[in-house]
Amino acid sequence: MPDPQLTVEDLYVRFPTSRGTVEAVNGVNFTLEKGQMLGIVGESGSGKSVTAKTLMNLLPRTAEVDGNIIFEGDDVRAVAKERRKHFWGVKMTMVFQDPMTSLNPVKRCGEQITETLRYHLGDDKATAKKKAIDLLEQVGVPEPSKRVDQYPHELSGGLRQRVVIAMALACEPSLLIADEPTTAVDVTVQKRLLDLLDGLRRDRGMSMILITHDLGVARGRCDDVAVMYGGRLVERAPTETLFADSRHPYTEALLRTIPRIDQPSHTRLEPIAGRPPELIDPAEECAFAPRCRYAQPDCLGTIPPVGGVRGQHEFACFHPANTDRGRQALDANLAAGQTVTGLQIQANAGVN
Amino acid sequence: MAGTGHAPLRDDRDILLTVRDLEVEFPVGRHEVVHAVSGISFDVAEGETLGIVGESGCGKSTVAKSIIRLNDIKSGSIDYQGNDLAHMEGEALRQIRPDLQMIFQDPISSLNPRRKIRDVISEGIAVWGNTKGSWSQERIEELMVAVGIDPKFGERRPHQFSGGQCQRIGIARALALDPKVLICDEPVSALDVSVQAQVLNILEDMKARYGLTLLFISHDLSVVKNVSDRIIVMYLGKVCEIGNADELYENPRHPYTRALLASIPEPAPTVDVSEGDIEGELPSPIHPPAGCRFNTRCQHATDICFTDEPVMQQVGDSDHYLACHHPVEVAVSVV
Repeated sequence: MPDPQLTVEDLYVRFPTSRGTVEAVNGVNFTLEKGQMLGIVGESGSGKSVTAKTLMNLLPRTAEVDGNIIFEGDDVRAVAKERRKHFWGVKMTMVFQDPMTSLNPVKRCGEQITETLRYHLGDDKATAKKKAIDLLEQVGVPEPSKRVDQYPHELSGGLRQRVVIAMALACEPSLLIADEPTTAVDVTVQKRLLDLLDGLRRDRGMSMILITHDLGVARGRCDDVAVMYGGRLVERAPTETLFADSRHPYTEALLRTIPRIDQPSHTRLEPIAGRPPELIDPAEECAFAPRCRYAQPDCLGTIPPVGGVRGQHEFACFHPANTDRGRQALDANLAAGQTVTGLQIQANAGVN
Repeated sequence: MAGTGHAPLRDDRDILLTVRDLEVEFPVGRHEVVHAVSGISFDVAEGETLGIVGESGCGKSTVAKSIIRLNDIKSGSIDYQGNDLAHMEGEALRQIRPDLQMIFQDPISSLNPRRKIRDVISEGIAVWGNTKGSWSQERIEELMVAVGIDPKFGERRPHQFSGGQCQRIGIARALALDPKVLICDEPVSALDVSVQAQVLNILEDMKARYGLTLLFISHDLSVVKNVSDRIIVMYLGKVCEIGNADELYENPRHPYTRALLASIPEPAPTVDVSEGDIEGELPSPIHPPAGCRFNTRCQHATDICFTDEPVMQQVGDSDHYLACHHPVEVAVSVV
């Protein structure tokens, strides 16, 4: 089996602040095969965007990074100074959430694409402009030769995001990282943008990391989905496995808390009790334990390591859902009426 | 897409609020106007939750703001218990406003960061005094408990709370004056999914406990279905379809409703995914298309759609109305 295109090993990212050290990413490991689309799902503060920014070398100077990132045989964190200029933004590029803030409002759309081409590939003005029009056409911008001379404010949100995607594709990357690319747009636009990204990835044999908080977005498009919580990757599996047979109690709780379109109206939702984990000086325990209905004493002593079947279905939990061990833990907690962390639980909660 | 006509207005129920032919325009320089809301009519029964869905720019927030008169109304009437809110002014309007309260999308920016949350929640009472029996300081504590905020945190300021907690404080503030109608403008859009359910459940609980009537605006079709009894689908200032929540999603007839349901990441089982492929961009609300406003993007559009505006009509004999010349015929789904 060939080496994966991207390997992330024991990635730690910390930000020293006046209130203490924020442990944003806590030992994340994952690999990405060529041509694969990996979804990273998590809530605010789960560390998904920080992971992406680490890959792209976009973290502020104050960040303390530890771990290995190998991309196509190169150690990303040790790219030699003379290669740095043409490393990021060429083979590995990124698309951000808000297209208005990723575009320069006082530059024409075309210039923003040709800038990349001229800087990285050394194209002359005319070639670059021709390529830019071509790229705009590929990303489905109507009348590309007219749009190329327009400013971002003259375009709709959906078109702006297409221009940003065209910029990211300019140097023919082999990995595209999309960080919440459709969060700022409407559903009909979202569908067209996701269709576009999916099509581009297939046509170009490009790999993609799709970062989203929307489980539905990940479900429809990704080969594999990884779930992050409290700076850790808590579960990763092929998409359908993750949704049909989730192991981590957080994944299970997340799937149950979302209103579903196939439920009748006024279906009572199951909230996840408690609040998101503290990232400043977190305790040496499973970050989800205080909110978890399965929590047992061993969840508090140590951080559960990533187990399961490597490369197939990995999860970091001592008492995984949908297993005998998990059921025993849940039954014991239900009998006691509360978990080891004092979370009150009732027998009827959790029954669909 | 039109949405003129009064077919969806009901007369057989306990109607609390009736909006008739509401039109709202905003001037945008050089004698041009944005046609934000162009003649829509609907009503809300007492104790009902009415959901409004649609994409940005469809006018759903403008409708909400018009009801509590946060923007000027060009024409139309808003009947609330025999009062026409659209034409009330001054003291009369002030007297009626406590009955209609609103919660907003961004929970943090809608709270004054420099004030203690107890003061934030009780400001309405401070303004009004204890003129109506149930308004008192005890009520503040009761409300804080009801929305799940420990009253001992009353001296804290908004930045010491999470987004979900701030939204619950916003709900408590809205309830302080004992409103009849609570207007929720995208109340969970800024929240993480794990706290979204908490806030939605609290809204349901508060509705039952205080006998509220809810107007719930969201772009998230699953959320709207979950909370609503009845749903309005809007497009470019017009109503496309109105109906009972379950019926509307089970049997969507308007091409735009179907496009929305097909566009969401996990499409509704009642539509084909390809129906979500609507081409082009939203037309300018300054120069909206003649005839049906959806005609520029509709797969079913024919000549009549470009000349005649469709009128709201009832589908069968159920609580389901739509404005379309070519409603999509669907086989009755077997559930």
